[in-house]
Amino acid sequence: MTFIMILLAILGGVMLSIQAAINGQLGSKLGVFKTAFLTFSVGALITALLIFYFEPKHSITLLDVPKWQLLGAMCGVPYIVIMVLAVQRIGTAVATVAVIFGQLTMSMLIDNFGWLGNEPIPFSIYRVIAIICLGIALYFIYSSNKTTNSSSEQKLTRTFTSD
Amino acid sequence: MQLFLILIVIAGGMGLSVEAGLLGPLGTQVGDLWATFSIFAVGAALTFLLMLFFSPRNSASFFSQPSWQLSGGVLGVVYVVILTVATPKIGIAMTMIGILAGQISKSLIIDHFGLFGTPHRRIDNRRIIALIFIIIALAMVAQG
Repeated sequence: MTFIMILLAILGGVMLSIQAAINGQLGSKLGVFKTAFLTFSVGALITALLIFYFEPKHSITLLDVPKWQLLGAMCGVPYIVIMVLAVQRIGTAVATVAVIFGQLTMSMLIDNFGWLGNEPIPFSIYRVIAIICLGIALYFIYSSNKTTNSSSEQKLTRTFTSD
Repeated sequence: MQLFLILIVIAGGMGLSVEAGLLGPLGTQVGDLWATFSIFAVGAALTFLLMLFFSPRNSASFFSQPSWQLSGGVLGVVYVVILTVATPKIGIAMTMIGILAGQISKSLIIDHFGLFGTPHRRIDNRRIIALIFIIIALAMVAQG
């Protein structure tokens, strides 16, 4: 089960990066916000269709849950805006590493404390080793982005539409 | 100023994990597709406002673009559904590291073959090394 879920997560990453490549193309012609709006509205329409025909009935609806549980997009959309503003000033390499750093730190915190109603997964020695490995990986991502950074403007648009 | 911007970007990355952290429990309560819908509906509303007020005025029309370039939203749905389904089972950190692994390996392939209209680039060894370390990290987190 865990293994299948990991494969799914990897597939999610693949989807995200194909999406980023496509949106990068589009973003250079339409602008970031127009591209982001298209992504979200097409996504909303598709999920609406899927819900209509496939979603089983639930006793609780989106309107019944506490409002803070509906803040997901409020955390995702600022990311797009922040990247638009920051990438041109601090560069793709730094921005990419900073995003991944923030993402990983927060994910470890949420797991450890079981924030937001998640099942707590306590910090362990394995996670420490994982963090060290990720640190090394981040260094290589940084140095790889650093060299390709100036050569392609594509990359720039690609990063900030990667949500 | 630089440091301040970096901190803001880190906060942006944290936002992505909070988003994933909210999705899992929401999905188990109201259904995975409803949880996904909440992201896209609110996101569409927010980005519509951003587009309306901050988009460059005379930008090109959606309909003048090749249709395959408009498919980003389809892939986004797959991504958000996966987040919703996977996080309650394997935790946020493992999901995020898995996504990172997928991103890096796919970007290697995209660059190598110049897919989706991106310029063809040689595979960078440093990205391969990064991917190997990410996979080790994934294995470590899977340990416990």
